[in-house]
Amino acid sequence: MDAAMNAPIIRLAAVSKSFQAPRSGGIVEALRDVSLDVRPGEFLSIIGPSGCGKSTLLSLVAGFLPPTSGDIHFDGRQITGPSPERGVMFQDYALFPWRTVIENIEFGPFARGIGRRARRENARQLASLVGLAGFEDRYPHELSGGMRQRCALARLLANEPKVWLMDEPLAAVDLQTRIILQDELLRLWGDGIESCARPTVVFVTHGIDEAVLLADRVVVLARRPGRIKAIIDVDLPRPRAPLRSAPEVARIVEQLWNVIRDEAAMAIAEEGN
Amino acid sequence: MLSWLEPMSGLLVLAGGWQLASIIANNPTLVPPLQTIWAALVDLAHTDLTSDIIASLIHLAGGFGTGAALGLLLALFCARFQLVAVVIDPIAEFLRPISAIAWIPIAILLFGVGQGVPMFLIFYASLFPIFVNALDGIRRVDPTLIRAAEMLGASRRLVVTHIVLPAALPAVFAGARLSLGVGWVAMVAGELVGADTGLGYRIEYFQEFFSMEGVMATIVVVGIVGYVLDALLRLLQASLLRWSPVNGGSR
Amino acid sequence: MKPAIRIGLPTAIVVILLVVWEIAVRLTHTQGLVPLPSGVVRSGIALTEDGTLMQALASSLERVIIGFAIAAAIGIPIGLAIGTVPLLDRTLRPVLDGLRGVAPIAWIPMAILWLGVRGDAALFVVAYAAVFPFILNTSEAARRIPRSLFHAAESLGASRLLLLRSVVLPGALPFVFTGARIAMAFAWGSIIAAELAIGIKVSTAKRAVAGIGQMMVDTLYVRRDVDALVLYMIVIGIVSFLIDSGLRHAQARLMPWTQQ
Repeated sequence: MDAAMNAPIIRLAAVSKSFQAPRSGGIVEALRDVSLDVRPGEFLSIIGPSGCGKSTLLSLVAGFLPPTSGDIHFDGRQITGPSPERGVMFQDYALFPWRTVIENIEFGPFARGIGRRARRENARQLASLVGLAGFEDRYPHELSGGMRQRCALARLLANEPKVWLMDEPLAAVDLQTRIILQDELLRLWGDGIESCARPTVVFVTHGIDEAVLLADRVVVLARRPGRIKAIIDVDLPRPRAPLRSAPEVARIVEQLWNVIRDEAAMAIAEEGN
Repeated sequence: MLSWLEPMSGLLVLAGGWQLASIIANNPTLVPPLQTIWAALVDLAHTDLTSDIIASLIHLAGGFGTGAALGLLLALFCARFQLVAVVIDPIAEFLRPISAIAWIPIAILLFGVGQGVPMFLIFYASLFPIFVNALDGIRRVDPTLIRAAEMLGASRRLVVTHIVLPAALPAVFAGARLSLGVGWVAMVAGELVGADTGLGYRIEYFQEFFSMEGVMATIVVVGIVGYVLDALLRLLQASLLRWSPVNGGSR
Repeated sequence: MKPAIRIGLPTAIVVILLVVWEIAVRLTHTQGLVPLPSGVVRSGIALTEDGTLMQALASSLERVIIGFAIAAAIGIPIGLAIGTVPLLDRTLRPVLDGLRGVAPIAWIPMAILWLGVRGDAALFVVAYAAVFPFILNTSEAARRIPRSLFHAAESLGASRLLLLRSVVLPGALPFVFTGARIAMAFAWGSIIAAELAIGIKVSTAKRAVAGIGQMMVDTLYVRRDVDALVLYMIVIGIVSFLIDSGLRHAQARLMPWTQQ
């Protein structure tokens, strides 16, 4: 592969983020000194106990928040705000309730001024691709959780982003739906094809098994303040879907669990107070 | 069909009571019997009814249109610029409890007797409920939706027109229904003393000629038109808010 | 945002506007045609000193309070009846909705005929305007009381009247209070309208004690004193504001669990 393929598509250099606590008035350090290179075409998972700043990290890369210190570069340029090139999937889907499925999907092209017929056609194809054919004229409140998530994914795909930023997208669905959606996610992403041709995914999740199954690398964050504790390579062959119950997966999950075990226990203890 | 029976019976009781009162009073000027009221109504329908209703509706549309537009604009500005909100909030708080009807003398002073008075009253009556509700609705828009729109590439203007306004629409409708009720009442009052067209004016006209049956007939029309307007607004609300799990098909 | 700015900025803007207004009117010599801030103040002092203002306020407020009390006495029982007996709700609600849409002031001609011009006509209008919020809110409040409370009281052997007194009434109180607030606002608003309408129709000789509404008519048509007119408006505004915030604070004190 040539040099361009090796240059990181996202680079975080010594990124820190602090907030002012609304009630106590003190400063909360959400992230401290995070440096990370995301390779183009890779599937990167981020895991960690609650309060470790995973969602904050994603918001920074998305461009919703500026870092307190440090730099974030996308494709060589500094990030100044959200952009269709870095598509985001939110935990609560964030579908526009007053727009139908098809209208939600075509929102990105609509915002960019693409003509009605072209964007309608494109949206219809995407709806089919994610399995929502026949539901184009439904409103979000008429859809199940899994269907809403597919709609959100189609909406993201309509802009053909280089990066998919996903904030616990499968947290709100039941286990069976989650398995189906994981497989679909891998398929749509391009699991098993050349990494040059597929988008980059940054996937924040609570589930260690999910992280290992889907990702090329897993970043483990520690909490209070949030910082990188470990980055583990997942050296398993692709496509991954058939490997769901493979012992290699379980082994890596065990390894990761040991890394975060203590912090997770502390998080639970503190939440109880 | 049976669902018509019960509301009808309430009306029948009211009508029956009125007729009884007119028999007891035995004074057609004091309590006109139903027949004369009906005759006056029919007569009115053949003469001025349509033009009166249209005149009142024009007052309503003009006043409500400007009041709602200004209310929305102010709400958007106040939501966007904190300084504007700081100035406007106390003024709104002070003006809000003042009934629209209290403005009649000043309206007459400003506009003279004519179209201006009832339109101004509706403008005033619709401004506040819509402003307050719209501001509340705008402030409650889910910020994640705005982020999603920005992420998808929407410009600032597009975010306002396609995200903020639709999200605030249910609240705006609540304000609209409120202003319609209050505004209709205030407008008729304004027409009664300060206009030369419209249903309120017609009531005054009949009063001048001591035609109490004419007054009652017009009052009946005012009540019916008011009811129909609210029903239409409710239909519009149900249709535009189809997407809302809460509001779609509300009472 | 600092309280200094929150209070200071609007006050400063209002003061600046008033000063500009005063200068503009004086420069264009339009006083008498257009209200003058200093003229309004002067009217205020004069009218308070000779007692006109206070007397008018007193007589208007007296009618408001009486009308309010009548509206409560009629409206609350009707509301309770509608809220607890679904049949009554279905039959009476459309009639009430229709009547509600008729401006109270439209009844003035009939009210004058029936009750004479003394002041009772105005009273009728006030009571009419104020009764609907009571009916609506009381019925809504009664409807919201959970069925289980009724069942519990009934199984303990309570009669219908006792039920009403010890279950429905306390549970409905907060909503009814909100209704009272709205009713009071309507009552105050309609007294002005009623007095205006009566004042315009009837000559000075027949009128009873003049309320603020009648004073405004007098100022508008007879004396053509724009400054006094604006002063009356301001007084109406202040009274409206005081009534509303007074009742809001009372509600917060009496029923702190209903904070909106």
